[in-house]
Amino acid sequence: MALRRFRSCFTKLQVVANYHSFVRLCSSTYKSKYSIENIYPNSDPNFLRKVEFKQTYNNDTEEEFTGYIPLDDISIKAVRGSGPGGQNVNKVSSKVEVRFHVESATWIPEWIKKNLIENEKGRITKDGDLVVTSEKTRTQMLNQADCLDKVREMIYNSAKKPVEMTEEYKKVVAKRLAKANMERLQRKRADSLKKKNRRSE
Amino acid sequence: MGIEKALRLVKDLPRVALNNIKNSPMDQKKPHNLRRGWGKNKTHGRGHKGQGQRMTLPKLGFETGHKPFYLRVPQEYYYEGHHLKRQYPPLSLLRLQRMIDMGCLDPNEVIDISSICMTGHYHLHVDRRHYGINLTEEGAEKFSTPICIEVQWASEMTIATIERLGGVIMTRFYDPLSLIALQDPETYFKTGKPIPKCKLPPTDAVEYYSDPKFRGYLADPEKIAEERVALSQKYGYDLPDLSESDKLSLLLKRKDPRQIFFGLHPGWIVNLTEKKILKPKAEYLQEYYHS
Repeated sequence: MALRRFRSCFTKLQVVANYHSFVRLCSSTYKSKYSIENIYPNSDPNFLRKVEFKQTYNNDTEEEFTGYIPLDDISIKAVRGSGPGGQNVNKVSSKVEVRFHVESATWIPEWIKKNLIENEKGRITKDGDLVVTSEKTRTQMLNQADCLDKVREMIYNSAKKPVEMTEEYKKVVAKRLAKANMERLQRKRADSLKKKNRRSE
Repeated sequence: MGIEKALRLVKDLPRVALNNIKNSPMDQKKPHNLRRGWGKNKTHGRGHKGQGQRMTLPKLGFETGHKPFYLRVPQEYYYEGHHLKRQYPPLSLLRLQRMIDMGCLDPNEVIDISSICMTGHYHLHVDRRHYGINLTEEGAEKFSTPICIEVQWASEMTIATIERLGGVIMTRFYDPLSLIALQDPETYFKTGKPIPKCKLPPTDAVEYYSDPKFRGYLADPEKIAEERVALSQKYGYDLPDLSESDKLSLLLKRKDPRQIFFGLHPGWIVNLTEKKILKPKAEYLQEYYHS
């Protein structure tokens, strides 16, 4: 779910030399009506090509975080987990710890960093490292995915802009509160009636 | 005069449909009358005495008081249609790695359902509604060979483990007749039947096989390339750049959706004893096998 935004920022980069050799390979083989070239005529059949995507942010404008995390700039450690499990939990390192220095991270837009430090104060060490751990599942791979997912969610939550309190919106909020209060009073009256009807006099 | 009128009617009247036709008056159903008629007097088709004549027969399924068969056996909706559902017997990544280590499978060739069945360590029974291989995640941590593999069902984690090592995985559908040929090609060629053309997946499987997330064989190759990167970001590994690898021709090798064997076209008959291939010449056959 956290990768939705990341997927939308892909751009094409054709590796031309290998595409030609790929075409030569396919020209002498069997081709039916339902071959990939016929179903997707405008697509590049080389699915192993390098896909370029946005990796750096312009700090002058408030650009949104795409979801890309460069794995060279963060440290991922596999540690032994806690809880019951006998020999397995004692030996297998399935707990994953992801650690990175927030201030010096170039892959997070500047305007998000301040909010991030404030929101995740509990997870940031004295040196300024954000530490995220996960031992949700029994496998290291899935725990690593969970850690990265958590990091992305934290950054997205820190990037949320506060709602503009215009005159119209204030009226909408007041209306909602009034309706909620009315419903609460209705429920209260109904409950009171229920209890009254049970009393036998 | 009558002909002209008839032709005008044919031109002006609406199209014949179910809401503007009726039976002819000659085509009347005979009324069912048991009260009068030759041979229908006296007992009127009901026999003599008893429940049959006196309209006191018990309900259908009644077994004179004890619990009848249709109430004795409980209904098990849990298993409804289970004998008709498609089954994908599992093959773990651990077993696959073991097969490669023992030399049963060659990582320098495309690993197909044929190659896995021919190792003898995996069995497929087409008559038991087995539709192919389900590559499971068991042993994902111990898997360490870059391979090009074609299975029928794979989960996200399996795809991630194979791609992180620099391999390629593709999910591909085979219909039962094609599977009979694939699971034991030698026996099939000896029958003398032509290589079948593979059917397209059924309606409930088309979505899976056209999804780039599961590397379906009917998916858009551009979207597959994007999904590879997205998965590498999700699971936190560096996607190896395969465009410079020497194994590129192997990794890009793909069968046509109608093709079953690499290098062999549907419609061909393989003669193993004389080591010959018989190809159909007739145009109608060529058209059929290329459609």
